[in-house]
Amino acid sequence: MPMTSRERVARCLRRQPHDRVPMFDWYWLEAEETYVREIGDPRLGCGIHHARTTPPDKLTLWDYFDFDLVQVAWPDQRLRMVEPEVLEESDEWVLLRDGNDAVMRWWKRKMGTPEHVRFGIDTPEKWAKVKPLLTASRDRVRWEEFRPRYRRAKEQGKFICFAGVEIIESVKDTLGHEMMCKAMLKQPDWVRDVFETYTQFEIDMFYLCLAEGLECDGAFIYGDIAYKNGPFMSPRHYREFVFPCHKRFFDEFHKRNMPVILHSDGDIRLLLPHFIEAGVDMINPLESRAGMDVRELAPQYGDRLGFCGNIDVTVLTTNDRERILAELESKMKAAMPYRGYMYHSDHSIPPGVTLETYRWLLDEVRRIGRYE
Amino acid sequence: MSLLQTIAQAVIDGDEVAAAKHVQEALDRNLSAKQILDEGLLTGMTEVGRRFRGGEYFIPEVLIAAEAMKAGMNLLRPAMLKQGVKAGATAIIGTVRGDLHDIGKNLTVTMLEGAGFEVVDLGVDVPPERFVQACRERDVKLVAMSALLTTTMPEMAQTVKKLREELAPTPKIIVGGAPVTQNYADEIGADGYGMDAASGADLAKRLCGLN
Repeated sequence: MPMTSRERVARCLRRQPHDRVPMFDWYWLEAEETYVREIGDPRLGCGIHHARTTPPDKLTLWDYFDFDLVQVAWPDQRLRMVEPEVLEESDEWVLLRDGNDAVMRWWKRKMGTPEHVRFGIDTPEKWAKVKPLLTASRDRVRWEEFRPRYRRAKEQGKFICFAGVEIIESVKDTLGHEMMCKAMLKQPDWVRDVFETYTQFEIDMFYLCLAEGLECDGAFIYGDIAYKNGPFMSPRHYREFVFPCHKRFFDEFHKRNMPVILHSDGDIRLLLPHFIEAGVDMINPLESRAGMDVRELAPQYGDRLGFCGNIDVTVLTTNDRERILAELESKMKAAMPYRGYMYHSDHSIPPGVTLETYRWLLDEVRRIGRYE
Repeated sequence: MSLLQTIAQAVIDGDEVAAAKHVQEALDRNLSAKQILDEGLLTGMTEVGRRFRGGEYFIPEVLIAAEAMKAGMNLLRPAMLKQGVKAGATAIIGTVRGDLHDIGKNLTVTMLEGAGFEVVDLGVDVPPERFVQACRERDVKLVAMSALLTTTMPEMAQTVKKLREELAPTPKIIVGGAPVTQNYADEIGADGYGMDAASGADLAKRLCGLN
C-alpha cells in the first residue's frame, strides 16, 4: 500500500525510512499568478498570496502539484492598536500604517520586503500600554480560508502543519529591526519582556486553534533570523533572549508529538546547534546565496536535523535542464541518505521559472527522490 | 589611555554618554577637531568594522557604536565647521529602483560615515537619473548601490551605465546586497563589490584614497 503524504512527511521528520522525498514549495506572487493563469484550470485560484479574495473552495498550487504538506492557521500577531490605514499611495505602491502602528511602504503588484518608514512602539512605556492587546482570540485566524483547506487535507491524507510566525519576526514587525537589536544591548529587560509576551501569545493561539478542532501533525514556523552574512544577533544574544522563548514554544508542539520545521532565510549556520537544542526538527529554506549548502550540513547534522530546501532558484531561473538536473542530483543525493530531506526551493519560486520547467523539475524530484 | 583613545573606546563599547562626555572634554582642552575625529571617533568605528567583519560584532553592536559616534559628532560638528575640517569625501547611497529594502543600506551608511565619508542617503526605489542628479549637485567621489532582489539587480547595471555615460569623471561605483556577487559587479562595470557593510566601507576608503 503506497504511503500517504501524512505518513511520508511524518517519517521524514523523524528520519525513518519512507518511500520518497516529500515535497513542498513557496512562490513569488508573480509566479503564482502566472502559473495559475497558464494552467487555466477553473478549479485553481491564487489562494497562496490572494487568500482574502480567493474563494476558499479553489485549489491552490500546493493542491494542484500534489504536495505533501499543507499549512493552516497563520494567526494574526499584530497588536491591533490602530485600524490599518492607507496613508498615501501611487499606482505602484501603498504607504500603509498597520495594526502595530508601524508605517511601511509596500509594492501593490509585486512581492518584496517593504520599506520600513517608522515604528510606533519605541519605548518601554508605549509597550506597557499596548501589551494587554496581544491576547489570543478567535478572530485572529481566517477560519473561512483554513477550515476548507484543513478538511480537504484530512481527506487527502496530507501532513497538516500549524503555521505561524516565530518571535523575532513578530517583534521586529512591532519594534523594527534597529530598535529590537539596540534594545538587546541597551534595554534588555524591556526587549526580553516583549519576546516573552509574544511567545505566550503564540502558544495561546496554538491552543486556541486546537480547541477549535485544528488537529495538526506538525508545526511550520516562519521567521527571518539571519541575512546573507549571518544572524542578526550574536549566538550569545540569541541564547540569552530568543532561545528560552523558542524552546518554550517548540516544547508545546513536541508535547503533542508535533515535529517543528523552522523557516529562516539567510546564513543561520552559527545558530544551528542552538536551534537543534531548542527543538527544531527541520530547517527551511536553506538559501544558497547565503552559503547554506545541504551537501555540507547533512554530514554534520543529518543525524539530528532535517533539511527542507536548498534547491537554488538562480539555477532554476536559467530554465537550463542540464544545470537544474545537476543541482537536484548533487543536493538531493547528498541529503537523502540521512532520510530527513524534503524538496523545496531555497527561497520562493520566482517568475522567471517557466511552468514547463517547473513541471519537469517536480517530476525529476519525484524520480530522484525515490528510495530503493 | 589617552583621551582620544578613551573616545575611540566609547565608540567601540557603544557608550554614547561616554562618547559625548569625552568629546566635550577634548574640545574643552582645545584638541583639534580633526584629531578628535580621526584619532577618536573614526578610529573607534574602524575597530568596530574590523570586529564586524571578523564575526565578533553583530548588528546590535554596530548599531549602538553608530549611536555613540553620532553623539560625539553632534558635539564635534560645530568645531569642524569652524576649523574648516571636512569629511574625507562625499558618498551617495541608495537602494535601486524597484527595491524598497533599506536595512543593509542603512548599515552601510553607518560604516561609510565611520570610515570618514559624508554620506547623502537617497533612500529606496531610486531611479538611475536620481543618482546622476545627486552627483551633479555636489562633489561626489563614491556612489554605493544596494539591491535585495534578483529582479532589481538589472537596475544596478542601468545605473552604472547612466553614471558612466553622463558624468565625467565618474565617481567610483560600488554595489552590494543579498543577490549581488563580485562576478556581477565586474559584469556591469562597477568598481567594486562589498559583501557586507564593513567590507564595503573598507573598499570605499581604498577606492577613494582615504587610507
